[in-house]
Amino acid sequence: MNTVEFWASRFLEMLGGLGVSLQLTVGALVMGIPLGLLLALGLLGKSKIVYYLCLALVEVGRGAPALVVLYVVYYGLPILSLRPEAMVCAYIGLTYTTAAYTSEYIRGGLKAVSPGSIEAAHALAMPQLDVLRFVLIPQGLRVAIPSLMGFAIQIFQATSLTYSITVREVTAISYSIGSNTFRYLEIFALAGILYAVITIPATWLTNKVEARLALRH
Amino acid sequence: MEERKRYSGKVDIGLKSPKYLVELAKVDKHFGSNHVLKGVSLRVKPGEVCSIIGPSGAGKSTLLRCVNLLESPDSGNMVVAGQYVDLARPLDKRSLLQLRRNVGMVFQSFNLFPHLSVLENISLPQRRVLGRSAEDAKAKSLELLERVGLADKAESFPSKISGGQQQRVAIARALALEPKAMLFDEPTSALDPELAQEVLGVMKEVAASGMTMLVVTHEMNFARNVGNHLVVMENGSIIEEGDPEQIMTEPKLERTKQFLSAVINH
Repeated sequence: MNTVEFWASRFLEMLGGLGVSLQLTVGALVMGIPLGLLLALGLLGKSKIVYYLCLALVEVGRGAPALVVLYVVYYGLPILSLRPEAMVCAYIGLTYTTAAYTSEYIRGGLKAVSPGSIEAAHALAMPQLDVLRFVLIPQGLRVAIPSLMGFAIQIFQATSLTYSITVREVTAISYSIGSNTFRYLEIFALAGILYAVITIPATWLTNKVEARLALRH
Repeated sequence: MEERKRYSGKVDIGLKSPKYLVELAKVDKHFGSNHVLKGVSLRVKPGEVCSIIGPSGAGKSTLLRCVNLLESPDSGNMVVAGQYVDLARPLDKRSLLQLRRNVGMVFQSFNLFPHLSVLENISLPQRRVLGRSAEDAKAKSLELLERVGLADKAESFPSKISGGQQQRVAIARALALEPKAMLFDEPTSALDPELAQEVLGVMKEVAASGMTMLVVTHEMNFARNVGNHLVVMENGSIIEEGDPEQIMTEPKLERTKQFLSAVINH
């Protein structure tokens, strides 16, 4: 069996693993970015208690490697007599990492919003929550979009770490195929190609969006 | 607590037919150690166009921004459209929003919402603040755009129109909430003379419609021809006040004369 035949014979299995990786990525982003937004608002808000709480969550989340976060969740939750599945632990760990990192991008975006439009919203008698919802957040997120897209690519790659807590994503599947067939190099080369098929167009898209957003202002 | 409740919100202070729409009494304000407003009192009648002039740093903009509490004064009292405010106390949120609902504001730097179209800029506050339906808000917005001569720009984004056009949209946005008074904070200072004229034209029309206006400006022609109340400020105080024509032809103070000759010859 040459390499191409070998790849073909394992392709569906690998594709299933890629599906798990993508699922984890989407889950981490869908849950993590709103949390990142909340952390960013907490960091910009007036309450000192909320500020320090958010700061601690962000600094720990960014300071600890994603792998360590995954291990802490995986080995930590059972101490609280919870026995979540590996997938659930992976979602929790990756979501936390996503929230911590994206909060910084979003905070940067919110701080870039011109104070004039916020002041105008206040002068127009808009309540504080409306000012956040309709004026500050949409403008701030728009600024943060390119960095968030860049981060999405990174967290997609970071899903490979969940292999260490037994999630059957594409890296884990590659490893088990490798250990059954001893064709490690070939199967990891295929894994690399599969990651690149997602990340390279995603990078192009990010650049395009960045250029388009830059044009509008 | 009880005391605070009594003074916040709409309070009948016994004015049967309110003579003044905006009344400021002994407004005091510091920025750090800088005493920017030194017990300023000002009364503006309904329908009056009050121009506030004076050298930069005189406290004109700060005074204007106190009227809708974008700045919080240290002390003083104020009655705006029948609402009494004790400036030494923090105002509760509801009363603050009520105050701002009665007072529109136009800024030097326009301050449109850059992520919304011209139409959405005017419609959003109507929907959120007045609770108008999308259709009603849109109809009102289009009517106001027509009035400021920008009906064809409804779908444009602020960054795609000129500064003069942005400022006219900002005026329409404020008028859409049907305020009882309008504050203009150097509305033409960021514009070249030609664009300034189109904004002044709209302001003149707004004045003619009977709107009470407080205008911080360096446009002496506007202050003289459209305004009917002139306030000269310097160093945190009002130094001269009265009929614009009279002050401009025969200022009482040497300082006023000096300032006027500087801006008019400019």
